[in-house]
Amino acid sequence: MKLKSFMDEAYRGKTRNKKLGTRKGKAILDLEDLAEQVGENISKEKIAELVPSDPNLLARLVACDPGKKYRVIWGYLSSLYAEKNIEPLRLPPRDYTGLELTDGIIVLERGGDHVGERMRGGKIFVKGEAGDFLGQELSGGGIVAGSCNDYAFRHMQGGWAVILGKAGNYAGLGNNGGRIVIRGDAGKRSGWLMRSGSLRILGDAGDYLGLLMSGGEINVDGRTGSRAGWRMRGGTIKARIIGSEAREGATGGQLLKPDQ
Amino acid sequence: MLDPLSKIKSLAKSLEELRLHLGRKDLVIGNIALNSQLYFSMANASLRNRAVMLYGGMGANKTTLVNLLGASFLGLPFDDVENLMVSGHPEQTEEKIVGFLDPRQWNLASGELDVLWTPWAKSRWKLINEINRFPSGKQNLFLEILQKRKISYAGKVLEAGDTCYFATMNPNFSSTYPLDEALLDRISACVPAMQPDFLGGLALIERKQEIKEIAADLPRFSEQEFEALPKVVSSMAIDREVELAVVSLLRDFTLCERAHGYDKTQLASSKPSRGICNGCHYFNNPELCCWQVDEGLSDRVRQDLREFVKAFAFLLEKKVSIEMQRAIAPYIIWHRVTPNRSSLERPPYYGSRKLEFISELIEKSINRTLNERGEMNMIFSSAIDGEISYGDAIKELSNYDDPIARLDYIPMLERMR
Repeated sequence: MKLKSFMDEAYRGKTRNKKLGTRKGKAILDLEDLAEQVGENISKEKIAELVPSDPNLLARLVACDPGKKYRVIWGYLSSLYAEKNIEPLRLPPRDYTGLELTDGIIVLERGGDHVGERMRGGKIFVKGEAGDFLGQELSGGGIVAGSCNDYAFRHMQGGWAVILGKAGNYAGLGNNGGRIVIRGDAGKRSGWLMRSGSLRILGDAGDYLGLLMSGGEINVDGRTGSRAGWRMRGGTIKARIIGSEAREGATGGQLLKPDQ
Repeated sequence: MLDPLSKIKSLAKSLEELRLHLGRKDLVIGNIALNSQLYFSMANASLRNRAVMLYGGMGANKTTLVNLLGASFLGLPFDDVENLMVSGHPEQTEEKIVGFLDPRQWNLASGELDVLWTPWAKSRWKLINEINRFPSGKQNLFLEILQKRKISYAGKVLEAGDTCYFATMNPNFSSTYPLDEALLDRISACVPAMQPDFLGGLALIERKQEIKEIAADLPRFSEQEFEALPKVVSSMAIDREVELAVVSLLRDFTLCERAHGYDKTQLASSKPSRGICNGCHYFNNPELCCWQVDEGLSDRVRQDLREFVKAFAFLLEKKVSIEMQRAIAPYIIWHRVTPNRSSLERPPYYGSRKLEFISELIEKSINRTLNERGEMNMIFSSAIDGEISYGDAIKELSNYDDPIARLDYIPMLERMR
């Protein structure tokens, strides 16, 4: 039998014209290889360029434990992987999960620190407790978490967030947009330096609620701690029971009870 | 009319109904999930002169399964089949395993010397139990016996005929010895024998019979049915696509730019794991197999792979397909090679999932052959058939950055020019 007839039968004319290609450049086999190629200026675009098109390899990189050294790179990889996945992506609790996420869904049993940081779209569900800096600089998409530690939604610019239980201190610090609902109690200095957006607390709020705020709206269904609206310059705080020394040094804005 | 296949199906069904404990269904061919331990053993029973090794911890039913199948396929009582096997330990000798000279003949003045062959030597269902408990030197005895139809001792030859070989092996324990590479190459397929899963464990509670009683209830094969099996299997056709993928797979594992004759089986002290690949053009390319395993593959792999895909096609009543090859090839190859340690130790292999690691290499080789090597193979075959000149073919093939083109096709055309 002629060898060409053998090959013809083997390929049945299907793939004969496909050009053979060998991977160029250095191989990326783990996070260390990726970090070496990314260099010091880590960005999502740079990682997206370097990240292997092979989905198995991407899954393997996401399965790696990044430790503290590669946690930012891992955070970008988790977002890239979630954006490519049609199904919700379940990940272990690690820092920077969903960093700069633009699409897709991530589900976590509990969150590390910086979950959903600089997120612009998509959704993150944290079934249990999230760490510090949850949704920092969030500008789109949404986050639902069982509870969270300090500095949640700091410098938030858009999107939405729901905390099903308690929030730590400094929730919504420096917010300039977006909507936050905390179904439990919030710690001290919630809405500190707030400029826009809304913060709703269904439980009680800690001391210094809306400290130095200049815009936006804070609603508290329970009671505020002492010094609510202290030195505020704008915006509105509504609370059912208002604590002592409220609005001391305030130059603008309003502190109201629900019926007012 | 003989119908051994329906008897094999009823055997598999009976083993399931009788709650013989086996691991989960870990072998997936297309949309069919099978227990690899059971199906590789049944495939081996349908072939001759091939060897299947069941590898696993204690109590995974390795020996019992082979003896139960032996009782069914040979139509013998379970006890008789158990008596046929040899078990590994340091005091085993060739005389105990194969046979010895009949001492009664020393009184005779003349005549031919007689050898008293052991039941194991005479049997056509040979189980070597705990093969890695034989010391390394004594393992050499099996090099000669495995895959052969006859056994020789003291100048006498026993023609045992076509035989089904099985072996069992534990992971490395304190009393075991490493298996020699040449012996491992004679093992056609190595199958992990796993403990039953949760549901399997629950099903065992319902088992009312002892193993001997289970054996008595299994369907029995007549001698004619047992003899008919290899003939039916050999009549299964393999299409060109599978043949090409098998040969290319062997070359992907065996070619090495730095080995004598580009043949990795020639390497002794220098190996990929000992730095032979440092600075090589192909090193660290995850699409290629050559640098990721230390050993090349012998032609036995091709023969074993062809035989086992045919046996599975027969057992499943399907045509031999690429999916079958993808599923079966890892079991034929993984015990014969040593993966690159740094690749194997990374997630998701964690240094222990060697079978999965080898499966991924095989997957890459098959995909590359089927999807990317078409044009290159057509150029080579056109030159071999005389449709284009060797010089033109060499020039065109030099554009392909593929080990088979650079280390196999081009040197061959240069020799022919």
